Amino acid sequence: MNKIRNRLFFGKTPGKSAEAGKAERVRATGEACGKAGGYAAGETCRTERGCAAEEACGKANSRAAGSLVRAAALLVGTAVLLWDGAAVTVQAGQNVPYETYNYDYYEDIKYTPAAYVPDGIVTGAQIGCGNLSGPQDLNTDEAGNVYIADTNNNRIVVTDREFNLIQVIQEFERDGKKETFSAPNGVYVSARGNLYIADTNNMRVVELDSGGNLVQVIENPKSDVLEEGYVFRPLKVAVDYADRVYVIAQNQFEGIMAFDEAGVFLGFTGTINVQITPWEIFWRRFSTKEQRARQQLFIPTEFTGMEIDEDGFVYATNVDGEGKQSVRRLNPSGEDVIQKKESGLSGDLDWRISGTYSGPSRIVDVVVRNQGIYSILDSVRGRIFTYDHEGNLLYIFGGLGSQEGTFTGPVAIDTVGEEILVLDATRNLVNRFRATRYGSLINQAVGLRYDGDEVQAVECWKEVLKLDSNFELAYVGIGKSYLAAGQNKEAMECFRTGNSKQYYSIAYKRYRNELLKENMGTILTSLIVLVILWMLWSRLGKKLWKKRRVSHV
Amino acid sequence: MFREKLKYAFYTIGHPADGFYEIRHRGQGSVPLAILFVFLFGLCFSANRQYAGFVVNNVNPMEINSFAEMSAVFVLFFLFCVGNWSITCLMNGEGRLKDIVTVCGYSMLPMILTFVPAIVLSRFVVADEEAFYFILMGFGIAWFLLLVLSGVMTVHNYTLGKTLLTIIFTFIAMLIIVFVVMLLYTLLSQVVSFFVSIYNELMLRI
Repeated sequence: MNKIRNRLFFGKTPGKSAEAGKAERVRATGEACGKAGGYAAGETCRTERGCAAEEACGKANSRAAGSLVRAAALLVGTAVLLWDGAAVTVQAGQNVPYETYNYDYYEDIKYTPAAYVPDGIVTGAQIGCGNLSGPQDLNTDEAGNVYIADTNNNRIVVTDREFNLIQVIQEFERDGKKETFSAPNGVYVSARGNLYIADTNNMRVVELDSGGNLVQVIENPKSDVLEEGYVFRPLKVAVDYADRVYVIAQNQFEGIMAFDEAGVFLGFTGTINVQITPWEIFWRRFSTKEQRARQQLFIPTEFTGMEIDEDGFVYATNVDGEGKQSVRRLNPSGEDVIQKKESGLSGDLDWRISGTYSGPSRIVDVVVRNQGIYSILDSVRGRIFTYDHEGNLLYIFGGLGSQEGTFTGPVAIDTVGEEILVLDATRNLVNRFRATRYGSLINQAVGLRYDGDEVQAVECWKEVLKLDSNFELAYVGIGKSYLAAGQNKEAMECFRTGNSKQYYSIAYKRYRNELLKENMGTILTSLIVLVILWMLWSRLGKKLWKKRRVSHV
Repeated sequence: MFREKLKYAFYTIGHPADGFYEIRHRGQGSVPLAILFVFLFGLCFSANRQYAGFVVNNVNPMEINSFAEMSAVFVLFFLFCVGNWSITCLMNGEGRLKDIVTVCGYSMLPMILTFVPAIVLSRFVVADEEAFYFILMGFGIAWFLLLVLSGVMTVHNYTLGKTLLTIIFTFIAMLIIVFVVMLLYTLLSQVVSFFVSIYNELMLRI
């Protein structure tokens, strides 16, 4: 609609001079974009924008919310394109339907170049197995094959990394009888290539070998810690290198259920303790029994997604109403050993309190990538947050919507190489994202640092800074190399720009010592001179003063 | 004259009971000097936000506004003085507004004296030495609080308990003042806009 209006508007202008026409155009596009840009400018919560506004200002401008300067540049760009009489087409890398941003040290949003851009969608029809229906999980194996739990169709779809159909698993043979799945919610491929399926409505986890033959069925777990008549409804499943099976089950708030390789229930792992604030205790004291009954129960939060890293640690996501920590890394004894910063690990740092797209991020899945990098998926605002092993945010991208590259019901995330796949359960398709130069430079630099190759990382960080001069981690990375080379002053400058107090202190301490050592002679000499001067003054000065005083009298 | 007053201010922060008594009863204090101290404290407060060393400074440099910070110090200072005056008038306090202003102003002197070296020091400390900076700052603030407490106690001739009570009431009075001022502001702006619209109406009709 807006598009048409704009066209009409432009249609009136050819009589004017080129300059005037251009100016008018800029203004008009500016107005149309004002709506789109205005939404996101001051707020973290990006709303799904009206399609009309989106179309009117071209895809390029949808990212313009970041800085005024960039917005202005894009507006001029669009205006020029319009002047050429062509349709609104934008250069590659700019047709991104979401912003990419990061939080700086002061927890302010800094918009960055796109780290990942949409790289097409894959529907069931495109795979060649008929449409997917409410798929709930997606997993990839080491060869890059993709496994999709097509929940409402009661099947598992297996494709290669280019989404060519390999097979559709609908049934397996158990004791000579064919059995089928019922609403499989989770799928996982173990390191040995065995397929684990959380067959939710059949209340079991099925393990199949790569040939599709049944290995074992985990069902009906028995233990003292499980209540009488417990109904086992597995939602997500993950398997470590020792073939221990971890299961997130419905309504199981005590943690992740762990099974040994023979399917014997071992116990719970990663139990999240309930946290009650003093304020809640205070209120409960003053509420009546009836009121208490109607209050919200204090139960631990649920786990939502899982992945095992190469060391056999479980990365698990959970719902955190406080927005502090939504991802954990559980060691074999079930303790959380993830490294985190003060700002926490829970996606967005601030959010709207009420209205659409409000509340803290609801993290639904995690993918462990190479060299300590992991990404988590938020279903409230459809964003993907990528962290390094120290808990630094690297980039945030994605959004809700119905364009290519945005989601309606994101449920699962995984990677094939550097590519990111996000499964949308509402639109029944897989979104593919590929890394831009910016994104892969960051990945590369963080990877090199993780491997201890800080010198080579510096080259990457310098390239990153050329694309985004606000990237604090890059300054810290460069600063570290200066520090290692003994150039403390340069290192200080970098750490200050990168807002790293810890490393700044180290560099400054060395610099201070260096200065002291170099100038110790001068300092001591001047001290001695000063002392002598002071002594002379106090002796002679007094006499002189006295004399003068006497003479005055 | 000014020299003596200044010397007396330094005497007061060391000997609050005697000093404030003399200020109340023998006119040793000076209101302009007190205002100068408030101004200097405002300056130090803002300088601390802007110039404190990187290691101890968590203030976003983009959010520093010296003028706003100094005016905030002044507004809070006068609010406290007026609030305390209105409360102590009702509670048999002997102090005049002049004395309260002097007490509060003079009490800020220790903070000026510690903030400046703390800011200088903070530029030379590293992460594990930042405690020195915070101790220095904390010392100044604690000294200030003690001075205000003993000053209010002395000029009004109160007991400690009554002083604490009046200070709590003072904060409530400050809130009420802010409330009334805001109420007045909104009402007045409505009145003004009423007359403006009458004027506009008349001008457009004629």
